[in-house]
Amino acid sequence: MRRLLALIVSIVLVAAAPLLRAATKTDTLTVSATVAARAKLTLSSASMAFPDSDPDTVPSIPASGGALTITTKARTTIGSTVTLVVRASTDLQSGLDTIPVNLLTWTASGSGFVAGTMNKTTAQSVGSWVSSGQWSGTQSYALANAWTYSTGTYTTTLTYTLTAP
Amino acid sequence: MVAGIALMLVPAAHAQTLTFTVTQTSISFADADPDTTPSISAANVTVNYRVQNNASGSWRITIISSTNLTSGGASIPITDVTWTATPAPPFQAGTMSTTVQQTMASGTGNVSTSQTGTVVFKLANGWNHNVGTYSATFTFTLSAP
Repeated sequence: MRRLLALIVSIVLVAAAPLLRAATKTDTLTVSATVAARAKLTLSSASMAFPDSDPDTVPSIPASGGALTITTKARTTIGSTVTLVVRASTDLQSGLDTIPVNLLTWTASGSGFVAGTMNKTTAQSVGSWVSSGQWSGTQSYALANAWTYSTGTYTTTLTYTLTAP
Repeated sequence: MVAGIALMLVPAAHAQTLTFTVTQTSISFADADPDTTPSISAANVTVNYRVQNNASGSWRITIISSTNLTSGGASIPITDVTWTATPAPPFQAGTMSTTVQQTMASGTGNVSTSQTGTVVFKLANGWNHNVGTYSATFTFTLSAP
C-alpha cells in the first residue's frame, strides 16, 4: 500500500511538471548615450569697484560689491583637469596714469578655488578640478592702497577662462 | 484505480505559448545641456506581446540591464535611466537596475491577440557625466506564469 501511494505521488508530480515550468521569451535593446565636452562659467557681477580710501587707515581696499561668486560647470573626459584662470588686459589705467595690476589680489573660498595675484601677461589660476562636475566659490578682491597713486578713475578688464579639455 | 483518479485530477499540461518582440534594436540618448535638458528622452520603443494557453496563470514583462552605462573607465549609473510606458495598466513606469529584474508590465490570463506597449526611456542629465560614448544592453523578458 505504501509503495502504491509513492507511485501515485510520483505520477502526479511527473504529470504536473510541465505546468511548473515557466515559459519565457526575451529580446534585447542596445542603449547608447553621448556626452560631449562643454563648459559654463557664471560670475555674480560683471563689474567691481574699489572706493577711494585713506591709505593710512585702509591700506588694502576691498571691492565695494563684496565677494564675487563664481559658478563653474564642466564636462570633460574622466581624470582630466578642468581649469579656471583670470588675466587682466592691462594695468589699472586712468589716462596716462597707471596702478600696477599686480597690486590687485584675491582670497578664495570653495572647493578647488585658490587665492592669487592679478597679472596682465600670464593668466593666473582661480581654481582647478578633476573630471566633470560643477563647483561654486568666491573671490574676494582687494587693491593695495598707497599715497603714490595719482588721482583718477582707473579701469582694467579681467578675463576669466574656463577650460574643459 | 487510485492511480487513475490521481492522473485525471491533473489537467493536461499545455506549455504557455508566448510571442514577444521589441521592435527597435537600439536607442540613443543625445548629448544635451544639463541646465536646459535635465532629462533626455530616447525615441519610443515598441513592445509586441501575446500570451496563449495561460487561462489562469499570470504573465510578466521584465527588464534588466547588463551593466551601468559604460564608456571605457567612465560610467553612468543605470539607475539614472527610467522609463514610462503605455498603456497603463498593464504597463508601468520604473527605474533600470543591473541586479534585479524590474517589472514593466504584468497581467493574468491570455492575451489572445498581439498587443503593443510603448516605452519611453529617459536619462537623468548631469554635469557630473564624463565625456564619452556610453553603452549598455537591456534585456526584456516575457514570462508566464
